[in-house]
Amino acid sequence: MADKRVIVPLSESITVRQTVGYAARAAAGTDEDAELHLVVAVPYETTSPEGSGDIERAQALLDRAAAWVREDADPETLTVETAVIGADEYLFGPRDYVRAFETYAADHDIGRVVLDPEYQPGATAPMLQPLERELATTDLEFEEAPVERPARHERLVGPGSRSRLVTMFLISYGFYLVLGDPFYPFDLITGAAVAGIVAITLSHVTFTTAPTLVGSPLRTIRFALYIPYLLVEIIRANVAIALVILRPSMPIDPSVCRVNARVRSGLPLLALANSITLTPGTLTVRANDQQLIVHALVPDAREDLFDGSLERAVRFVFYGRDGAAIPTPRERGDTEIIGGDEL
Amino acid sequence: MIETLRFWAIVVLLVGGILFTFVSAVGVIRLPDVYSRAHTASQTDTLGAGLALAAVALALGWQGATIHTVLLLFFVFITNPTAAHAIARAAAETGVKPWTADTDEEVGEK
Amino acid sequence: MTAELLDDIFLATAAIFVLLAIAMLYRAVAGPTTQDRVLAVNVLGTNTVVILALLAAGLGQPWFLDIALIYALLNFLMAVAISKFTVERGGVL
Repeated sequence: MADKRVIVPLSESITVRQTVGYAARAAAGTDEDAELHLVVAVPYETTSPEGSGDIERAQALLDRAAAWVREDADPETLTVETAVIGADEYLFGPRDYVRAFETYAADHDIGRVVLDPEYQPGATAPMLQPLERELATTDLEFEEAPVERPARHERLVGPGSRSRLVTMFLISYGFYLVLGDPFYPFDLITGAAVAGIVAITLSHVTFTTAPTLVGSPLRTIRFALYIPYLLVEIIRANVAIALVILRPSMPIDPSVCRVNARVRSGLPLLALANSITLTPGTLTVRANDQQLIVHALVPDAREDLFDGSLERAVRFVFYGRDGAAIPTPRERGDTEIIGGDEL
Repeated sequence: MIETLRFWAIVVLLVGGILFTFVSAVGVIRLPDVYSRAHTASQTDTLGAGLALAAVALALGWQGATIHTVLLLFFVFITNPTAAHAIARAAAETGVKPWTADTDEEVGEK
Repeated sequence: MTAELLDDIFLATAAIFVLLAIAMLYRAVAGPTTQDRVLAVNVLGTNTVVILALLAAGLGQPWFLDIALIYALLNFLMAVAISKFTVERGGVL
């Protein structure tokens, strides 16, 4: 019964049309009373400033998708349901999305998922592989819709490319001139040539999101505010660790714990993982999507981590003052002490 | 006056650098497994190197070479934790089990 | 007077760092796992960078800092590359 009902998560991707078409034909071809559930997961709470326009866009996409299904399959035999999910919570990583799908699937007795190979709900990092990994841990069957997609490199040539190119050029030129002599014409010319080569060949792999004229400098300034705070944390914790190591009995009690961090993949997660590692007593062993596996040397360091002050600081850098006000990982229940075996 | 102040600032920074690098060396030698060693290797050593480099920057004063020292400081602070993370992750993927207080009795190392 | 004293202090600090580096060499030799050795070599590399910077200040040779900069970057690449190669399926970082 359950596998007659199919859930199709949609996002604004170049293959969403083909995915809907495939799911509709497959569902209509197999059974008389198949049901097709088209869902759009919105990443932000609708009440938050980032999420305000999401619902309208999601609804527009669903309306279009429902029309595509009517084109591709007989509306008599196929029931189509549409829904926006995740509107009342933050969805951060693949795990959150899969959990949202799972809840929806359980509510509607659905057993199968058809995935769009280019599925990208809001986030910039590719979602398909982590999503499939997460889906494999659930009871849901899933398959990737067979689509013909245009060559991948075309997607990189977007409106953001020029700003990436310029930023990359300026950074590498600046670095070259700092190492060389900014008043020596030879260095000025060779630097421009080298920076040009670097920018053209490497700009598309350097940034996951295109830098913007306002946002990026703002983040840089907030990052500059973050550095003194981080330095104080580092020195404070370093002294504590130094005392532990230098004591002849060396009272260490290492443990491995898991923290689900509420920052997006890419640069924010890198900043958080590096900050955690830099603060003595805690060492990020793995950073998968939003899940950090952290090795803590002493219990105090672990408790500090669960209080989440670093996470708040990183959220301040990337999402501004409003983003920093979130509950600590301990209050959210996102922490767990695990044994070494699950590494 | 300023010179004396700078002199003592440099001496304090250097002593701090030596102290933390010493802690790092002790940690790398004493601690029981690769994960805990990565703690001192990445963090205490980073601070020790950072303090020593800050002393160098202060001694060189306001000239071109100081920019190099500051860049060096920046790189050390970015790359050291990343390298430690890469090493710890490689250890995790090759199946090295973390040492805990319980495994104290056994022969913890392969 | 103070300038010469300062130079001597820098050289003495460099000497202490060399001694600490020799102590850390124990871990690079003893292992027991590959990662232990990589870690020890990485720490040694950071120490080398600091020693180069201290010598640059102590001997008044600022161009040592260029070498230190390159060494720091190579040291990082070494750690990441070896970590990646010790894991068979790759995918580290």
